[in-house]
Amino acid sequence: MDMLGKYKTCVAARSTSSEILKSSQDGGIVTQMFIYALEEGIIDGAIVAGPGDEPWKPKPMVATTPEEILAARGTRYNISPNMAVIKESVRKYGLDKVGIVGTPCQMQALRKAQLYPVGMRYVTDKIALAMGIFCMENFSYQSMKQIVEDHCNVDLHSLKKTDIGKGKYWAYTNRGAVSQIPLKVTHKYEQPGCHVCLDYVANMGDISTGSVGSPDGWSTVFVRSTNGDNIWKKAVEAGVFEVKAIDSVKPGLDLVTKLATEKITKNQKELEHRAKMGVNKGLRNPYI
Amino acid sequence: MSKVVEISPTTRHEGHSKLVLKVNDEGIIERGDWISITPVRGLEKLCIGKTMHQAPKISSRVCGICPIAHTLAGIGAMEASIGCEIPQDAYLLRLILQCANKLHSIALHDILALPDMYIPGTETKINPFTAEEPVRTVAKRIQRLREIGQTIGEIAGGEPVHPSNPRVGGMYYNISPQAKQKLFDLAKEALPMAIAQMDFMNAVFKNFEKRETVTVGKTTVDMPKEFGYHNQGYMAVDSIFQSSSLDFDPKWDPNRWTDVTPWDWYMGECEVSLEDPDYPIGGTSKIGTKAWPQMQACTSIPLYDGQPVEVGPRARMVTFKNFDHKGAMGQNIAREMEYPDCLYTIIDALDALDCNGSVLADEIPQGDGSLGWNANEAPRGTDVHLAKVKDGRVQMYNLLVPTTWNFPTCSRALEGAPWQLAEVIVRAYDPCVSCATHMLVVDENKKIIAQKLVQ
Repeated sequence: MDMLGKYKTCVAARSTSSEILKSSQDGGIVTQMFIYALEEGIIDGAIVAGPGDEPWKPKPMVATTPEEILAARGTRYNISPNMAVIKESVRKYGLDKVGIVGTPCQMQALRKAQLYPVGMRYVTDKIALAMGIFCMENFSYQSMKQIVEDHCNVDLHSLKKTDIGKGKYWAYTNRGAVSQIPLKVTHKYEQPGCHVCLDYVANMGDISTGSVGSPDGWSTVFVRSTNGDNIWKKAVEAGVFEVKAIDSVKPGLDLVTKLATEKITKNQKELEHRAKMGVNKGLRNPYI
Repeated sequence: MSKVVEISPTTRHEGHSKLVLKVNDEGIIERGDWISITPVRGLEKLCIGKTMHQAPKISSRVCGICPIAHTLAGIGAMEASIGCEIPQDAYLLRLILQCANKLHSIALHDILALPDMYIPGTETKINPFTAEEPVRTVAKRIQRLREIGQTIGEIAGGEPVHPSNPRVGGMYYNISPQAKQKLFDLAKEALPMAIAQMDFMNAVFKNFEKRETVTVGKTTVDMPKEFGYHNQGYMAVDSIFQSSSLDFDPKWDPNRWTDVTPWDWYMGECEVSLEDPDYPIGGTSKIGTKAWPQMQACTSIPLYDGQPVEVGPRARMVTFKNFDHKGAMGQNIAREMEYPDCLYTIIDALDALDCNGSVLADEIPQGDGSLGWNANEAPRGTDVHLAKVKDGRVQMYNLLVPTTWNFPTCSRALEGAPWQLAEVIVRAYDPCVSCATHMLVVDENKKIIAQKLVQ
């Protein structure tokens, strides 16, 4: 199986805007891309995971200004149903060119909606830019709360950033403290639906990006579709991104491939396991 | 000696209906019955006990051409029953939605009506599918007008078919300034196209009316002087939108309305004795076929002041603008004349719309079972929904839909026309037969039907 999906180019990159990088998760790729596309008229709004009602709970929103896009920076390790507002974006907001960011599953939902638009009238021809983000697994809000507040012993209100990397779950506070726990203890909090996911690097995005493979403060970027390629080239030409060849950075694509293979192999096994879950019967497999 | 001819099914209108016509030796209709043979779905009965929020969403599914009318009339009836006043901006969004739907509906009917008509000054009938001019330009214009109507409806109403945005108490959301600008641009684009389309269609209809003869299939018939005339009255509650029992001065009166069964209005059992295998396309019903309009009609017959009435664009024009063009073509011309009104109203409503305004009433009462009604001026005429809501649940729900009003009126208007042109008269009413056939007669009339069935 092709672990990294189809792509035209792969680079390490980061935004050239220090304003964006100030509180972006990694290289500020998604934020920078949407702000650039908005200003260039490539999109007229973007679906992002905006701030929610509770601390670190994301809320899908249709952002039509750079300020709103900036407000959605940073990874929130719990569920944000971004596809839920896709109709709203072309109805209430009247958008013609929609940008959307999402995890691999949300990119799949988007592409499925484009090919089989059940109840998706007048939506699918208006998708202008789909930004995929790498995703190993996700958590429910309660799970994240448990991990941060109980295991990391950090109050969600003072949390500045969370990160999963180097085998650990990291929590940084506003006042400078850092705590980390081994990923092993977070496993039971994972969303069970993530265990049948066979996509790590958002194979269905126009452009996919994530932290793995590049140094801190940088992102690994896969440019996949023709549409993505055109926009990416324009953006790089306009100087909004700093770009390095992926084989010039450490740890590079090898690590990405390794993690993708791990995720896919593990979840394949889970699928096979579910097929024989009962006695002479199994659970449903959405891939067949 | 009169003969009976039956056209079943009729075409180029919404739904399933047929014509049972008694004609004289010259083929002129002496008495015509136009009846619905669409199966009754009975939503008025199945809505009982459901929530007031659900019932209008069900009644929307009565029809996919004018779902806006049923959604808005249904919600309006619920709001009238519980006594809920909606905010101004919700009203404006509904008004925009209403006009957008009317715009698309008129354009759609143009496609259905055109194949009966001639290119003015020629003997060529109009085929909207042809790639030849001048028809191609007209067809493209119709497509674009419909597209604009549906897009405006989609943004203001959530969906162009079965709008999701309206709810009891107002709307689910207001629109963004960007969306408002988009609607404004679309309305501006459509306005000159709509006026050009109206002028074209009216030239075509006036030309048809002045013709000496008309060819249907292989037969050429004389065009009657009073084509599609009737002596029934007109009923309309507003030139554009609606009236409801919440209004200070309601324009419709439930006390003047009565309902009878098809039994009291239609012909009895008869047998087809005239057949034309060349009637396009596929011929008429075979000689010997039994027809029984009284029993086969799937609508009830609503009466206003004891008589069937005409509703629709002409009824609105007659009631509010002193329109005086009678007959089938008068009906068509009145419909075309509503084109610009739709767009001017959308533009005015957008000017007045505040994108930051609240669109949901602060308080939504649950209802005490009192009767409320809302009459929506649907593309095809007055669509009255009556409801009783108690504790948030529907106790009674009744729909009096435009084409239901028009069925008996149109049947009368058939008299004096050659039977080959009966469908042209029917189409002038822009019938929506599935709209008309949504009902069960639920009061004492039900017993009458049961008795007749036993006989």
